[in-house]
Amino acid sequence: MKLKRFLLRYYPPGIILEYEQGGNLKTKSIDLLDLKPETDVDAVVDEISRKEPLITASKADQVRKLIQRLQEKLGQKDDHHFYLFKVLRAHILPLTNVGFNKSGSSFITGSYDRTCKVWDTASGEELHTLEGHKNVVYAIAFNNPYGDKIATGSFDKTCKLWSSETGKCYHTYRGHSAEIVCLSFNPQSSIIATGSMDTTAKLWDVQTGSELVTLSGHSAEIISLSFNSTGSQLITGSFDHTVSVWDVKSGKRIHTLIGHKAEISSAQFNWDCSLIATGSMDKTCKIWDTPSGRCIGTLRGHDDEVLDVAFDYTGTLRGHDDEVLDVAFDYTGQMLLTASADGTARCYNAVTHQLISKFEGHEGEISKITFNPQGTSVLTASSDKTARLWDPENGSCKQILEGHTDEIFSCAFNYEGNTMITGSKDNTCRIWR
Amino acid sequence: MGLLDLLRKMKSGNDKELRILLLGLDNAGKTTILKSLASEDISHITPTQGFNIKSVQSPGFKLNVWDIGGQRRIRPYWKNYFENTDLLIYVIDSADQKRFEETSLELTELLEEDKLMGAPLLVFANKQDLLSAAPADEVAKGLGLDAIRDRKWQIQACSALTNEGVKEGLDWIAKTCKKK
Repeated sequence: MKLKRFLLRYYPPGIILEYEQGGNLKTKSIDLLDLKPETDVDAVVDEISRKEPLITASKADQVRKLIQRLQEKLGQKDDHHFYLFKVLRAHILPLTNVGFNKSGSSFITGSYDRTCKVWDTASGEELHTLEGHKNVVYAIAFNNPYGDKIATGSFDKTCKLWSSETGKCYHTYRGHSAEIVCLSFNPQSSIIATGSMDTTAKLWDVQTGSELVTLSGHSAEIISLSFNSTGSQLITGSFDHTVSVWDVKSGKRIHTLIGHKAEISSAQFNWDCSLIATGSMDKTCKIWDTPSGRCIGTLRGHDDEVLDVAFDYTGTLRGHDDEVLDVAFDYTGQMLLTASADGTARCYNAVTHQLISKFEGHEGEISKITFNPQGTSVLTASSDKTARLWDPENGSCKQILEGHTDEIFSCAFNYEGNTMITGSKDNTCRIWR
Repeated sequence: MGLLDLLRKMKSGNDKELRILLLGLDNAGKTTILKSLASEDISHITPTQGFNIKSVQSPGFKLNVWDIGGQRRIRPYWKNYFENTDLLIYVIDSADQKRFEETSLELTELLEEDKLMGAPLLVFANKQDLLSAAPADEVAKGLGLDAIRDRKWQIQACSALTNEGVKEGLDWIAKTCKKK
């Protein structure tokens, strides 16, 4: 094994080692999820040198410098005030989902007008219109980190693969018998997974355009899916109240996560994929241990009430009064967000399951919630036509992003955390910087 | 409402839920009828650039009503919403006689759609509060409703503004879907 070079990863903090083994170029990552600006650098370097044979004594100094750069980045004050940079009259009908490429230089919007558009973030210019679907373009994704391809999933039951550079359609994947409502590339960008109202998920080959396997087993619509960080596993969330964990290679189901009493709204891995968080219409969020498939915690109303009695004499704090519509982890996997139809969102400690903060102020349901890549801000999108930024530590509202004239369906941060996009039922997309 | 709710309202729900499509030309009064059905304020209504959805409880059924914008350039997208439709409501501006032919053509095309085959049709002859409004039987004749043989249909005179006739339409929907 021979170390070729270091790559720095800011969010989440880590150092990627590129090395040669048997003539092949490989990478492995040293995750530094607990790194803080005040962490003792020498101790970290020592620990890495001890555990990682590629880091020899001669490399220690370089590693030290890299860690210091990560610390500098982490120490940067997050007092960015966002302003409305551009309103894009993006589509002639409501938008569905939005997404950035890895660098944030361009983003995509899906719409009821059956197109997906590719936009330049800096200028707000339209780069391409991806035309060809015969019904709503609902699910969209870049093949990040590469960003040279885009996948679109439509109510016309097909998925299409496009070049993000030329807008040319490479493949149309046919096989689902109902609307495609979620999709994802695997991290290697060799496979696309699609989830459908036909109750199945399918894996497709990016290169050849052929179907690899059908994941059957759910008894109702699949509305959420995601790969783990190595691409070996896929989770699917369904209206049948369960989440399935699949082995990608064999297409076999490894676990069925049973316990929710109503439809699943969202299912997410944490960064190291040791945990899965699931949100449900049953008003709770559950945390599961990935290897065993066991439920290790339920974040629900009366758990909070017990806490409240201790801290709040009014006893008015409760869990969500309505459906949980979205969940999200921060990069360390320490914090977990839930968003609810009751118009509130919450931040929990993912380990102790204690409530950290509560985000109150929206006047309608919150359908999307996400951390900025740094984990220092929370973005929520609501039917009250606003998006809001919150402090996850204390629950205070940092900023209200106003301007949309109808519900906001989707929102996203770029990788740097200094640009946001919101997609709305009002047919526009807004860029905030 | 959110995207997730859209998916939930899209699937053919249980027996107690009906998916109803509300179509018609622009300015026919679809959104006003929708809001009137839901007993909401109708004083500030602007042209629908996409769609609106409301759930209305009627005896025995929850009606999920989809009101789709009717401007010419977005009419080709009506097809997006045909799947799993239990009943079609078509709204006519009874006072806009100049556009009777246009609206009749659009309706004829809708009735030829495979995905709407057999779905009962309720036509609201709206804006009866206006003096220039044609009476319902004249509208029915103009649309050639008598020739419809492949589905149940009904024409209902109404004024979404005064709420007159809207409830009667709702009653017909409940009655028709009960028998189904």
